[in-house]
This record gives sequence, structure tokens and C-alpha cells, in this order.
Amino acid sequence: MKYICSICGYIYDEAAEGTPFEALPADWKCPLCKAAKTDFKPEAAPAPEDTAPQTATADTATNTVPEADLKKLSAGQLAALCSNLARGCEKMYKEEEAGLFRELAAYFTKITPAIPDADVEKLASLLQGDINSYDSIRAQADALKDRGAARVCVWGEKVTRMLSSLVTRYLHDGESLLAGTDIWVCTACGFVYIGETPPELCPVCKVPDWKFEKIERRAKA
Amino acid sequence: MKRVAVRNLRLCTKDCICLYVCPTGATDTENSIIDVEKCIGCENCALACPSSAISMVPLEYPKQQPKDDAMVATLNTLAQSKADQEKMALQIAGGTSKDSLYRLMKAIAKSERILAEDVMREAGFMLPQSHNAHAILEELIETPPTPDFPAEAARKLMENLPDNG
Repeated sequence: MKYICSICGYIYDEAAEGTPFEALPADWKCPLCKAAKTDFKPEAAPAPEDTAPQTATADTATNTVPEADLKKLSAGQLAALCSNLARGCEKMYKEEEAGLFRELAAYFTKITPAIPDADVEKLASLLQGDINSYDSIRAQADALKDRGAARVCVWGEKVTRMLSSLVTRYLHDGESLLAGTDIWVCTACGFVYIGETPPELCPVCKVPDWKFEKIERRAKA
Repeated sequence: MKRVAVRNLRLCTKDCICLYVCPTGATDTENSIIDVEKCIGCENCALACPSSAISMVPLEYPKQQPKDDAMVATLNTLAQSKADQEKMALQIAGGTSKDSLYRLMKAIAKSERILAEDVMREAGFMLPQSHNAHAILEELIETPPTPDFPAEAARKLMENLPDNG
């Protein structure tokens, strides 16, 4: 029997490893991306071809919003839109323009209204909501043959699962989660990794370790 | 399509073959950034560079590919969810004195931004030169969300990055 990591795709092959998956301790982690044991799924038998994107048409219909709403983006969306275009300018070696888009992004980040009652449990439930939405987004993208939108789901779902897994672990383990260790973010795909050094290659998007950024402790006031 | 050579300073190992093959001296600069005024786009340096640190980039980029409205709406909803989570993580980080929680929330906020950026890119904002990007900037200048909107930055962007249609 094989078990597959839902985040990085690592395959735990019981035959090769010698220990049944069920016998591994509850705090066992994926050797590649350190996802929790509960993020592994048994290798599924290949699904019949015709079952997959049946919900696509219905979802497309329910997700349609009036034209006016489409154009009205929130401060949070505009912040990401501008910081994304800043990255685009960086890649085109347009430093001045990148700086200007970063200025706009910082403005929108600043004016984004606070979320009432923000706490870790509420964050966990939003993350779970996103995880649940990826199947229908992917079905819609496939039905429209929108390759880019489908691609967003690939890394997006894996990274969201990792965030959800870490938040769940924090709710369970509390402050021991990062005791004596560091936490890193892949600046290409957003994958989050706990360890003294970042992985040689990002387990999700495969960029080299220097693309990871370490999150520093709060500066002492 | 007219192209110019650019050097990735992170990959450059200072083998300096580009200096030997450049017919105009565009690659010979003090700050290692290839002089776009002198570059004629001949590609000699990019082909000669042993560390593949030089690539040819176009001066004009293709148009934004059209997007289905319903798909855009779905992606916008997903981006809003990521933005809400980023904001929430920042609020939690700002309000705690616990080290693990602080760093976890900072990491999540950064990750959520990267996820939201990727979604916005596919929701029709891939290129800074695109008509979509211009339309947004124009609208923001006309109706700023608050009086302290940095309109000068938006104006400069519209000027520096001509609308590619």
C-alpha cells in the first residue's frame, strides 16, 4: 500500500519502508515537506474518466456576478494586484516602475479594513473553505480551457493545505511549534517550511533554497 | 520584435566573455547592468555567456489574453479570501506577544499575499503594460479611494508603461 503526501506528492511506500503507515507515530512528518501524517492520503485507484467535471456548468452559472461587481476590486485585491505587477516589473528589469507599484501596494495594504474578531480558529476555517473550493474552481477552469486558472489551483491548493496543516498543528501544539527553530516562506509559490535551513528545492514549486525567505522574530522594542 | 540583452546579476560569475563579443560596448558598465541605449539586440553576449546569466527581453510585450467573466469572478472571490486571511494573520501577529504565533502568522500573511498575487495574475493582470492595468490606474486617479491615494505614482506608471492595447 502507498500513501501520498497531499502537499508535495511524496510517496510513502509501505513495501519499501518496511513499516506500515498506520504504525507510524502521530507526530510523524513528511520527510520532504514536513506535512503532518494526516495530510497523507492512501493511493487511490484511478477514477473512471467520466465522473470528474460534471459540476462545471452549474458552478459557472452560480459564480456569475453582475458586470459592475467585476470591476470594483477591494483594497485587499488591489494590494495583491499592485504587488504582483511590481514583481512583473522586477522581472522585466524595470526597477523604477516596480518601486511605484510597490508604493501603490503598500497604500492598499494600509487602507485594507480590519477583519472583525480575527483569531486562529477563524483563520483555520477560512483556509478549510478555500481547500473545499479548489475542486469547483478547477472544474470551471477546465471547462473553459483556461490553462492559467487551472494552474493557479495546482500550487494554490498545495500551499493552502500546508497553511491549514500548520494552523491546525499550532492549535494542537501551541508555542512549541517553532521553539528553537525557524520558519521560511518560498517567495515563488508561498510554501511554508519549518526547519533550521530551507529545503534544497521547494517541495511544491521546485525553486532553489535561496528563493526562501526567513521570518524574523519580532524586534525587541 | 526588438529585444535587448539583460544580465541577471545573481547568476553572473564575471567570466566577462560578454565584453569580448559585444560590438557596441553595451555590456561594459561599472554597475554590470547592460546599457540599453547602446544594446543593438544582436544576442552575441547571451549566446556566449558560460553561466547563462544574460537573456534577451522584448521591448514590447504581447497583449493580455482575454478572460471569461465568470472565471474572473471566481478568481476574484478566491483572491478576496486570500486577502482576508492575510489581513487576519497580520492582525493576529500584531496583537500577540507569543513568538511562535507571531512568526507563524507573519509567514502565513506573506504566503497568502503570494497566493493572492498569483490569482490576480490569472484574473487578467499578468502584464504591467496591459490595457486592464491601465484602466485600473486611470480609474484610481479619477476616483481615488481616499484623499491620500498616491496618484503621482499611478500617473508616472501610466506614462512609463504605455498601454499595449
